[in-house]
Amino acid sequence: MKLTRRNFLAWAGLSAVGAVACDVIQEEELILQSPRDLPEDLVKGRDNWYATLGRQATGGDGVIVRVMEGRAKKIQGNPKYPVNLGKQSVRTEGGLQALYHPDRISGPLLRTGPRGSGQFRAIEWEPEALDILKRELRARGQGMVLITEPLRGHLGMIAERFADALGGKHLGFETLDDTTYRAAVKEVFGQDLLPDFDIANANYVLSFGADFLSTWGSSTRLSTAYGEFRQGIGRERRGTLVQVDPRFSLTAANADQWLPIKPGMEGYLALSLAYVIISEGLQASGADIDRLTDGQGAAILNAYNPETVAPLLELPAQLHQGKSAADFIRELARNFAGHHPCIAIGGDSAGAHTNGFFNLQAIYVLNYLVGSVGEKGGIRFNPGSPISVLPAFAKVGSLQDWVEVANDIRSGHTRLALIHEADPVHGLPASVGFAGALDRDDLFIVSFSPFLDETSIMADLVLPDRVFLEDWGSDIPEPGPGYQVIGMQQPVVNPLSDLNPRSFGDLLLSMAQELGRETTLPWSGVEAALKESVEALYNLGQGTSTLVDSAGALWNLMLQQGGWWNEDATGPKPGVPAGLLNRITAQGNEPGFAGSGDFYLLPFAHNSLLDGRNAHLPWMQAAPDPITTVTWQTWVEVNSRRAAELNLREGDVVRVESAAGSITALVYPNPALPPDVVAVPLGQGRRNGSHYASGGDRRESSNVIDLLSSDTTNRTETGALAWAGNRVRVVATGESIRVSKFEGIFPAREIAITAGEEIIKVTDH
Amino acid sequence: MVTSRVDHKWGMVVDLDRCNGCQACVVACQVENNLPINDKNAFLQSRAYEWIRIERYWEGEYPNIKARFIPVLCQHCENAPCEPVCPVYATYHNDDGLNVQLYNRCVGTRYCINNCPYQVRFFNYWQPNWPERLQNQLNPDVSVRTRGITEKCTFCIQRLRRAELKVERQGGGKLNDTTLKAGNYMPACVQACPTNALVFGDQNDVQSPIQPYFDDVNRYDVHHEHERKTRGYRLLEEMNTKPNLIYLKKVEPNSVKGEHHG
Amino acid sequence: MQEGRILSTREINRDLLRSILESPRWFWPVVAVLGLILLVASIAIGIMVNRGLGVTGLNRPVAWGFFITNFVFWIGISHAGVMLSAILRLAKAEWRRPATRAAEVLTLFSLMTAMIMPIVHTGRPWRILYWVFPYDFARGIWPNIRTPLVWDPSAILTYLTSSTLFVIIALVPDFAVLRDHTTGVAHRVYTLLAMGWEGNARQWKLQIIAGVLLSALILPVFVSVHSIVSWDFGMAVAVKTWHSTVFAPYFVVGAVHSGVSAVAFVLILLRWCYGWQDYIRHEHIDALGRLLIVVATGWFYFLVMELLFGMYGREADELAVRALQFTSWPYNAWFIVFVVTTYFIPVALWLSRAWRRNLWIMSIACISVNIGMWLERFLIIVPGLVNKQVFTFTWADYAPSPFEIIIVGATFALVTMLMLLFSRVFPLVPLYDVKEGDILKTEVQIGRRTVPATFRED
Ligand SMILES: Nc1nc2c(c(=O)[nH]1)N[C@H]1C(S)=C(S)[C@@H](COP(=O)(O)OP(=O)(O)OC[C@H]3O[C@@H](n4cnc5c(=O)[nH]c(N)nc54)[C@H](O)[C@@H]3O)O[C@H]1N2
Ligand SMILES: Nc1nc2c(c(=O)[nH]1)N[C@H]1C(S)=C(S)[C@@H](COP(=O)(O)OP(=O)(O)OC[C@H]3O[C@@H](n4cnc5c(=O)[nH]c(N)nc54)[C@H](O)[C@@H]3O)O[C@H]1N2
Ligand code: SF4
Ligand code: SF4
Ligand code: SF4
Ligand code: SF4
Repeated sequence: MKLTRRNFLAWAGLSAVGAVACDVIQEEELILQSPRDLPEDLVKGRDNWYATLGRQATGGDGVIVRVMEGRAKKIQGNPKYPVNLGKQSVRTEGGLQALYHPDRISGPLLRTGPRGSGQFRAIEWEPEALDILKRELRARGQGMVLITEPLRGHLGMIAERFADALGGKHLGFETLDDTTYRAAVKEVFGQDLLPDFDIANANYVLSFGADFLSTWGSSTRLSTAYGEFRQGIGRERRGTLVQVDPRFSLTAANADQWLPIKPGMEGYLALSLAYVIISEGLQASGADIDRLTDGQGAAILNAYNPETVAPLLELPAQLHQGKSAADFIRELARNFAGHHPCIAIGGDSAGAHTNGFFNLQAIYVLNYLVGSVGEKGGIRFNPGSPISVLPAFAKVGSLQDWVEVANDIRSGHTRLALIHEADPVHGLPASVGFAGALDRDDLFIVSFSPFLDETSIMADLVLPDRVFLEDWGSDIPEPGPGYQVIGMQQPVVNPLSDLNPRSFGDLLLSMAQELGRETTLPWSGVEAALKESVEALYNLGQGTSTLVDSAGALWNLMLQQGGWWNEDATGPKPGVPAGLLNRITAQGNEPGFAGSGDFYLLPFAHNSLLDGRNAHLPWMQAAPDPITTVTWQTWVEVNSRRAAELNLREGDVVRVESAAGSITALVYPNPALPPDVVAVPLGQGRRNGSHYASGGDRRESSNVIDLLSSDTTNRTETGALAWAGNRVRVVATGESIRVSKFEGIFPAREIAITAGEEIIKVTDH
Repeated sequence: MVTSRVDHKWGMVVDLDRCNGCQACVVACQVENNLPINDKNAFLQSRAYEWIRIERYWEGEYPNIKARFIPVLCQHCENAPCEPVCPVYATYHNDDGLNVQLYNRCVGTRYCINNCPYQVRFFNYWQPNWPERLQNQLNPDVSVRTRGITEKCTFCIQRLRRAELKVERQGGGKLNDTTLKAGNYMPACVQACPTNALVFGDQNDVQSPIQPYFDDVNRYDVHHEHERKTRGYRLLEEMNTKPNLIYLKKVEPNSVKGEHHG
Repeated sequence: MQEGRILSTREINRDLLRSILESPRWFWPVVAVLGLILLVASIAIGIMVNRGLGVTGLNRPVAWGFFITNFVFWIGISHAGVMLSAILRLAKAEWRRPATRAAEVLTLFSLMTAMIMPIVHTGRPWRILYWVFPYDFARGIWPNIRTPLVWDPSAILTYLTSSTLFVIIALVPDFAVLRDHTTGVAHRVYTLLAMGWEGNARQWKLQIIAGVLLSALILPVFVSVHSIVSWDFGMAVAVKTWHSTVFAPYFVVGAVHSGVSAVAFVLILLRWCYGWQDYIRHEHIDALGRLLIVVATGWFYFLVMELLFGMYGREADELAVRALQFTSWPYNAWFIVFVVTTYFIPVALWLSRAWRRNLWIMSIACISVNIGMWLERFLIIVPGLVNKQVFTFTWADYAPSPFEIIIVGATFALVTMLMLLFSRVFPLVPLYDVKEGDILKTEVQIGRRTVPATFRED
């Protein structure tokens, strides 16, 4: 008895102590720390800020990067850069994680397993990798295709010339391409370059679909303008924003009024407004109605009078309580035309219907009526590139082009594909069959991507590029700020010692030399090409060049301030094209939709992941969606009332089925979505590459592109994908996964006195 | 350590009519201040770190519905409820009137978290860790926190110190209003904010853009709110925490709730 | 006038020392099981300290949960000891005699157990030194005397010290008895503890005076301890339902309520375990029952006041928390259980004299009270944080993790084990007190006058 007791006590005691003590104290706890001083009070060492370009964001912001002891620490907007004036977007800092990403490809890889299996063998640059590249370029250069991200500036020029020199073609890839928008700008304003919107000085902005506060156009620049538009110092009145959008986008959320219109009917509303403006004589003094309408005036628009159009728009009755839908449109027209200066903007889903080209033309023509074309507080246009060698805008392929590329590959015409920073396999609808086309033995694929993704995993040879913080380059921002700007990209750090990437640009140039194409590509490297252009800029003797007295000084200044610009070299003020309205009204047609199903599907670019190009960056994955606050997952927004009727709860896994395919996603009941619309963000659904992008449970990480029908009936008039023109069914799977969202578990509505209500203050307008 | 300090009274003005909820400030803060990466579990366990967060409130019913965005960060209360309850003075007011957090000292009672009315204090439930290579990005001026302690917005105090050093090196003497205006010191979130919804300044500086708002709000207390000339107010003003942040109310031409007494 | 037969000193010694001199068959198996539970819990704590508090269910804004609830609970239990011993001693309530020792010991052990909770719940327990003791003045690390977290340890340690003294003083005569009944090592130890007690008149006098003095001195401490514990919440301006003015008295009464119930239950257990029918008698339990009716009703008044005042301000965010407590699952269910088990069930049972004297029913009532009181603390602490302030956007719910449940459960095992081990070495019913009580029933005739056999406490 005694003995057992002693044993027992000893045993119990010892093991208890042992358990508690089992390396409880972790190493960092043993580091001697000052309990008195705030470490942040004792900052040591010098840091430097280098100006360069931010590639993570859309629209090309200029950034400055904080570098300490050879490591990049922080990216932020370049205060001197005309486009973003020291500000940035949620995406800007992502570049740092791209730079120090654990999943970066460290050196050249040669495919060993079957195509797409992801089995590679590491090889050396010299001689193996370069020899293979050279060999394949020689053997298959004729008819090859060079696919890149939308490239401007020097890299764009080099890629273009390289493809030509070898008898192939260069195409920029963008999931939600701007070809229709660009065509509309060309048609309505006769301009090749996308315009800038002077929202800061506008009093009234009527935006059709364009989510310009989040991802559309030069969103950083437009957000800054929006701030001024609301509460700019010295404004006599606060600007009014009306968003016509079938989806409750971030811009809609910030609008003073949101008009959930039937998808694809934006053009009809726009022309109806035009009708009211002209018939009631509300147009601006300078507006040349006769020329616009070939002298026919409002008559040309008779088909679009509010009475006819109102029923087609399916605007919810609660919007126009008291008055008829037609009067509601009239009032909108009066408000719009009555608040000079005012702007009509169109983009995103408005231009992504079978009638998208018509929609955008109808929207932008309004700007002539209210006299805001080329005016302060209106639309301002961009001049071309200051030096002829540089392309001022990126060549971007439309769906049509990609179908052709796929066909060329199948037909054996194209036997070599060079791919850089573009992921068409993930970004093109499955029905285009691009992945299938790439998966051919007679095709040799070289990827220059620093990361594995759906496309680079198919490559025979992977030659990892430097990321933008490690490389030279330049940019002519588009849309530009309304005057000539050339942005300067310089390496701010060297690649880490365990990484061995090579500059894509330098590689193309050295190959050009090797293959005897130095006539078209004479430079030894991108830096040399830049130096030559700086020379040319100096001789131009305008803008920044006037501040210095030698090309060398200009070079240094451009590195310091992040580029060259000339505020005097502004864009043109286009004249009114004769009979423009006649042409537009003639094109009027209602949108067609692929597939059946009781919901319109509205895909949208993710606030931080965009089309998925940032999906491998944890900061971007963890940045809550502004509206739903969802992170890391793919969600499908369903009107909360409708969801209740279908008895779908938050987190229910549903299958979204379209004519083209089906995906799974988690339901997020959104109180602010039309009952007949579901919205799904792009960006997730990666299956290869970084586990940050592809790690998710397949049910909660899907690629909405797979739902988009790409058959010829579902294109815009310009041959681009009508990505907003699909109808889908939503089928519950019975499963449910918790939504990883930032908002709490209780509906964030105000209880009597919450911050939520405190921030509202009504002022008469 | 910078010895000589000018008497600053740092403050921030948050214009809710400018803020569009874009989240740029949130990421900027995470990058500047070595915030742990919020993985999916951090959200599922509602333990995500966001020293500045954007709260989204719904208002009204479809189609007359609005989403409201409020950036919430540490209010740097003059009368901070989080300070008296900390047994070890790990959170206290420093010479510049900031509410700062001394990580080394914190023992993790989480009392300050309970007693912060604004819920801007974050506890390290797990050991924060970064993949080897990503650690190259960590800001050397900011301590990387360990598990078991509380962290929060510091008004980017490390940037303030750098600014002081910089100004002193430039021979500009001490950091003062002019050198400050020269853009030497701006918290990361303020710098990032594309709409300029966040404005930072010195309440002691008569020229500071934040001055009129602080004057106005200080002149008319919460009971005389309606007499204020600006849109300014303080969050949970009635609690008398005396925040060094002032919010400017959203202007709402066609409210879905009708006239508001404020 | 007391019931029951008068026992000889020899009998008393035999009965009351039985627990020490020979151990019942069930004793070691039970201790072993308890030890096993404690072992599991210590491993859980080890993992928790090593991995971080992520293993709990805590989150933002619910930063306090099961551990703090349990802390307040055990502090509450600890109030029984002094309550009985001191008050009853001062009040010369004769029936207290057998109860006192068990009560006091329960105080000690539940206090020690309670103190474990706030320590393991901190993020860096090994740094507690920083604040409970100002260990290095040179670097200016004084604890912040403005925080209840510093008031707590001071109050609790004071209470612990005084209660320990209280127990030891009362034990000395019994040590002496034990000294005379043991041999070998045990004998030497008891000799030491007995401090040369001979039981002469002077020693008795000093011992009794010391007891009375301590009783008087300890009462304010006992009131202050739970008041101060309540201020952990009362002083938290940011949590609406915590920042209540009524908390101090409310918590004290609640503590007495749960504490006395606990003692009553322990006495019943002892009587059952060691067959002390002759010492822990029905009228004792009966008396405790009657006392509890008063305490419970007092406590109920405070409960109603607390809710009333909460509603009275009609502040939306406070009402939101009340709504959570009353209407939303699972809190509403727990709330009903809490009110019923804490007040209506036990009081209903206590009202009948017959039931008060039925030990089974009594046990049920006492357990019911403590289930309810545990829930009370939980329902005060958690809902206030779940719906914290007006930021509905960040409201989040809380559910305890297995780690929290295991560790909290183990504290009950710990207290039980300590009580059992104590009963192995010291008498849980004071010998001398009982003897004295009986002796006092016998009086001696001296001439015409009748004098007590010994002098009394006054
Ligand atoms: N607006 C408002 N005002 C109120 C009330 C209200 O409800 N609303 N309540 C009123 C009521 S009911 C009361 S009781 C009063 C309370 O008002 P006060 O009596 O001022 O209350 P305290 O501030 O708690 O205590 C005063 C001082 O005593 C110090 N002190 C603490 N312990 C000791 C000690 O042992 N010795 C000495 N010398 N000093 C010590 C404390 O540090 C503190 O500085 O407030 C009144 N004022
Ligand atoms: N946390 C904390 N607790 C304390 C104290 C403390 O300082 N802090 N102080 C202690 C002291 S000294 C005291 S005196 C007590 C005070 O304790 P309480 O009497 O509770 O004092 P208050 O909280 O000021 O008032 C209680 C409620 O009365 C409401 N009330 C206000 N005016 C009226 C009225 O005209 N009629 C009615 N029916 N109700 C009204 C208030 O809104 C409030 O909700 O608190 C004690 N407890
Ligand atoms: S906001 Fe919270 S954390 Fe910041 S000072 Fe105020 S109470 Fe402290
Ligand atoms: S958590 Fe840290 S800072 Fe907060 S009160 Fe406890 S010790 Fe102080
Ligand atoms: S002031 Fe600095 S620490 Fe505070 S929220 Fe902004 S960026 Fe983060
Ligand atoms: S960055 Fe500015 S606009 Fe964007 S959410 Fe933050 S405060 Fe609002």
